Amino acid sequence: MAASSSAISRAVTAEQPGFLNHRNLWLVVAGFTFFNLFVRWYEEVYGWSAGLDAFAPEFKTYWMNFLYTEWVLEIVFFSYIGAYLWKTRTRDMDAVTPREEMHRHFHHFVWLLAYGMAIYWGASFYTEQDGTWHQTVIRDTDFTPSHVIEFYMSYPIYIITGWGAFMYARTRIPMFSKGVSLPYLVVVVGPFMILPNVGLNEWGHTFWWMEELFVAPLHYGFVFFGWMALGLCGLLSQIFERISELAGPALGTAPAPASKASY
Amino acid sequence: MSSLSPTVFTKAEIIQASRTADWLILVFAFLVFTGGFHVHAMLTMGDWDFWTDWKDRRLWVTVTPIMCITFPAAVQYWMWDKLRLPLGATFTILGLLFGEWVNRYFNFWGWTYFPINFVWAATLVPGAIILDVILLWSKSFLITAVIGGLAFGLIFYPGNWSMLAVLHQPVEYNGMVMTIADIQGYHYVRTGTPEYIRFVEKGTLRTFGKDVVPVSAFFSGFICILIYFIWHFFGRWYSTTRFIDQY
Repeated sequence: MAASSSAISRAVTAEQPGFLNHRNLWLVVAGFTFFNLFVRWYEEVYGWSAGLDAFAPEFKTYWMNFLYTEWVLEIVFFSYIGAYLWKTRTRDMDAVTPREEMHRHFHHFVWLLAYGMAIYWGASFYTEQDGTWHQTVIRDTDFTPSHVIEFYMSYPIYIITGWGAFMYARTRIPMFSKGVSLPYLVVVVGPFMILPNVGLNEWGHTFWWMEELFVAPLHYGFVFFGWMALGLCGLLSQIFERISELAGPALGTAPAPASKASY
Repeated sequence: MSSLSPTVFTKAEIIQASRTADWLILVFAFLVFTGGFHVHAMLTMGDWDFWTDWKDRRLWVTVTPIMCITFPAAVQYWMWDKLRLPLGATFTILGLLFGEWVNRYFNFWGWTYFPINFVWAATLVPGAIILDVILLWSKSFLITAVIGGLAFGLIFYPGNWSMLAVLHQPVEYNGMVMTIADIQGYHYVRTGTPEYIRFVEKGTLRTFGKDVVPVSAFFSGFICILIYFIWHFFGRWYSTTRFIDQY
């Protein structure tokens, strides 16, 4: 069975392009990877040479100017992506054929993969990195080199990417246009709330001197909103359900109902 | 929806699409779970995991499994109940370890120059495999919580012992008996390190030593059972497929 379906799969690959746009996929993967490698290199070089004293002129040159540039670009990208996706939205969802819908689901997967990469770099890579930087260099500003990257670059990037994925689904995929997916809201809005929570975090750090404990209760807001990543369970279940409906007739199977939990 | 024509897609197309989707979703889910779980872990038990001098015989053993059975329990619920995949715990724990190891190497060592044998990440893989195997065998969240949760707490310290043992060797330093991990911490001063020599292990641990680990692990296992229960309900809530009309 496995061998025969592999052969079928290879034959299809040779004859038809499939539903996935591979060029977009690899552009996303390469774009996120090389951009973040560049940022990591920038930290390596200018963190130590220009990022130790917030009152030094070189700090303004290399870190505050980086910060201001980020803010401008983030507002531009957020606005442009939202406006573009809305303006070019599908106005008659009933006219979307099953084949076109399947194409759009795969395009949506590329958006979701981009969101996954952005979440990884922001929530995992740069967040724990902030811990080791502040265990090494005492903070004398809210805009330390690690914060300029973590809070004000990587978090907005995943917010913008999540916003783009949500808007793509809402404006182009019939199932997401007819109602608002609760788990989609959770998985996009929850991590977004980590950014406003930076306000609490920085307020706390300026209020009193505290030992640089990562497990300090001041940080629990980040933890709570990090849990919202689990919203992807419901989101993927919704997508699986719809794709099963689309694919079921070709396979000669009806989608299996979800099993009951056993206790 | 059910009135779709069989001729819309061919069977081969669907097989190919299914495999492509599997890979895309696998990577996407791995990255998102890694992000959410890593934030949770580093901010609830991170300090014990960052440094070897924090890897003590009481709080490290207690706190780490309790905080790290959370996402595995939730994702186990989703993967088992919705997809019939008994992989949820191992999948999320591997994600956490991926995030931690990349960080320890490229940032703790690569950016701030702490040696890797001071900042290595504890492994939780043995406990995760036990959780998944018990769920697979029992097909019961109740049994997985009680047996698997307890085992998740109990196996943590033995699972890490081969990495930690050498750093708990006693040495004499300036007339005092310390462990090698203590000396690592003493030499690699961090912002949070006080200006005096501090042992992270407190109280009577070093005279009461032989009993502390099993007692801590047993207590950790007990709490893991409760946390598993709570978090498997989180998995159920987050698996909702509800649509709302207004927001």
